[in-house]
Amino acid sequence: MDLSFSEQDEAYRQKLRDWIAGNKDLATRTMKGIDDKGDRNPIQAMRDWQRHLYEAGYVGMSWPKAYGGYECSLTEQVIVNEELARAHLPPTINTIGLTIVAPTLIQHGNEDQKKEHLKRILRGDDIWCQGFSEPGAGSDLASLRTAAVVEDDQFVVTGQKVWTSVGPIADRCVLLVRTDKDAPKREGITYLLVDMKSEGITVQPLRNAGGGSHFSEVFFDEVKVPRGNMVGELHGGWAIARSTLDNERSGLSGVVALENNFKKLLELVEAGTRSGKPALEDPQTLNQIAQYWIEIEGLRYLGYRTLSEQLKGQKPGPQASVGKLFSSKLRQAMAKSALEIAGPYAALTKKSPHVLNRGRWVAGFFDSLGYSIGGGTSEIMHNVIAERVLELPRSVED
Amino acid sequence: MEFQFSSDQLAIRDAVAKFLSEEWDLSERRRALDDGPVKVSDALWQQVVDMGWIGIAVSEDKGGSGLELLTSAMLVEEAAQVLFPSRLCSALASAYALDQCGGDSMPKLLGSHMTGQHFVSLAMDEANGDYGPENNSTRATMSGDEGVISGQKILVPDADVADHFLVASRLGDKGVLIKVAADAPGLTITPMERIDAQCVSELELKDVAFSTEDILGDADEAEAVLQRTYEFWTTLISADLLGVTTTALQMTNAYAKERHQFNRPIGSFQAVSHRLADVKMDEEVGRSLLYGACLALQERPDESSPQVSAAKAWLSDAATRATEAALQLHGGIGYTWELDVHLLLRQARSNAVYLGDADYHRKRIGAYLAEQLKSSAAGVSN
Repeated sequence: MDLSFSEQDEAYRQKLRDWIAGNKDLATRTMKGIDDKGDRNPIQAMRDWQRHLYEAGYVGMSWPKAYGGYECSLTEQVIVNEELARAHLPPTINTIGLTIVAPTLIQHGNEDQKKEHLKRILRGDDIWCQGFSEPGAGSDLASLRTAAVVEDDQFVVTGQKVWTSVGPIADRCVLLVRTDKDAPKREGITYLLVDMKSEGITVQPLRNAGGGSHFSEVFFDEVKVPRGNMVGELHGGWAIARSTLDNERSGLSGVVALENNFKKLLELVEAGTRSGKPALEDPQTLNQIAQYWIEIEGLRYLGYRTLSEQLKGQKPGPQASVGKLFSSKLRQAMAKSALEIAGPYAALTKKSPHVLNRGRWVAGFFDSLGYSIGGGTSEIMHNVIAERVLELPRSVED
Repeated sequence: MEFQFSSDQLAIRDAVAKFLSEEWDLSERRRALDDGPVKVSDALWQQVVDMGWIGIAVSEDKGGSGLELLTSAMLVEEAAQVLFPSRLCSALASAYALDQCGGDSMPKLLGSHMTGQHFVSLAMDEANGDYGPENNSTRATMSGDEGVISGQKILVPDADVADHFLVASRLGDKGVLIKVAADAPGLTITPMERIDAQCVSELELKDVAFSTEDILGDADEAEAVLQRTYEFWTTLISADLLGVTTTALQMTNAYAKERHQFNRPIGSFQAVSHRLADVKMDEEVGRSLLYGACLALQERPDESSPQVSAAKAWLSDAATRATEAALQLHGGIGYTWELDVHLLLRQARSNAVYLGDADYHRKRIGAYLAEQLKSSAAGVSN
């Protein structure tokens, strides 16, 4: 076993670090919401940031060159993900476009669709949102009811989607609709690309338990979608959606995010006290943070195992599917500990003059609660491990 | 970048697994619980020796195969899956200790240990419940080149076959390993009965004589030899815990598919399948941490303790959870003497508190993190 990177890879890493160091001002400006023209426009600033990242070669690294990608090696992608996460840079605004829409189009889209959308996704010109979940179709996504009727050369869509991230600012949406009510539920679904400016679409922000509005509800009232915006075959949408939901990742960039959280937790421990003594001398506190350190190490080595398999062109083994379940649990435990270590002031809102770190710990706590729900609940992840890894009989017949 | 077994290592693993499944039966352990500690026959041990297992990670210039330390852990993991006796694990640990030493006598002893003429075991844990070489109370005192050791060691493996013990002792302000012959005057060996039916003994040392050349490693290396050996042996125990976890999961998973209640396999109930999924998660995280510990030991043995402790702390807890889940999910039959589940549980419980329990190893990591914080703070103020 050997965890070292080749000299070539290390040179690539250095080049990236130089780019990051040379673009500190740009990153700070973006965080402040100032765009390339110098105007205060947070959304435009984030689009500009993604375009700069792309032009430097750090977005779309795995994509074919024909569609604007860079065809980088897997190791280079891992290096970029790690370094970007480590440097606390602004995120890419078009995450759904980059991680869900584009892989889908590359795999299943026709040439026109690829030419029309891929480059714009890379440059942050179009921000995409995902219209999959519905009020009545969460874990059981295939029971979705938003309906599309075929009329001449267009679909007419009516229904409601929910948990739509970036809904209010999205330019386009990937939408799952029911096109055959009588077919078995997985065989009557079609995959559409929808312009969010179409007539009949209403977006309503949805506040989450922590008070933020990252999601929205999207209502469709007889929205017309050209037939050319269908991906794949009529009624063939379920398999297409599944193929990108199953996109396994090594999870190594998630490990860097956890390490960043852990560093903040350590700073809290360093500053905190327990029974009149530094928290660092409290055995129970040390025991707890040691456990988190162990679990982050575990996730890192888990990620390396997955990456090794991917580098050899193998299908990722069982460790890939335990990563999400494990990391959401860990994230929540750490966030809860942070509140406890920070003490009673950690429970104050931003409005209080005594608020700690501008309410970061409370926000982190509420944030962490979403990780075991979004992208497949922990209960569903248990089912996935039980059924696909342990090959136990299905718990639900449908 | 490669963080999985190479094809050579996989071939060794498969051969080892095949040999063990043909030559060893897990339920031997049940007989041993009634009839005395579990033992490998001399003929079987000779086969193990002849296949070169003991020297698999010993350096080539000392007659070993010079493979990665990971391969030793892999052997122990496979052996634990069929509850093969601890003799393999202690043989590998003492081979590692002897491999650290130069000079004449230690490499010679290592040679005969690898060929099965001698058997060297190790004595580390003590009755005071303070784990780790730094807490040992067994004391060595010296005048000139001669000295004596006094103290008590517990749960020393394989005293029935050992002709030498490597005894962790305090010498001045240092911890060292000292070689003591099994028949040395002043040494009393008393068998201990442990719930896993392994052969473990108490060693009582009263002014047992030794000389400079019995200390493992030169004066400036001796403390590192002890520490590294402790880290390595601990990692092998972690591998043992992983092997037991794997068998417990496999056994229970098979049962959940075949056992029917309410006209369905019990594995289709989420109360059962979700607990098994948790065990799978525990196992995969443990496997990853074990490989991480092996890599740390290989690349930077004197700074490997955080990774070694991470694996041991996690697997002590994980193997306990896995074997308890196995017993619970088998239901009534799982609680019987006839089923193998309790044999796994016994081994997991025994090793979970051997060479440091989970709390001790978390304490080591806590101390490491506190040290890191202090040194980074010092770095800032400079």
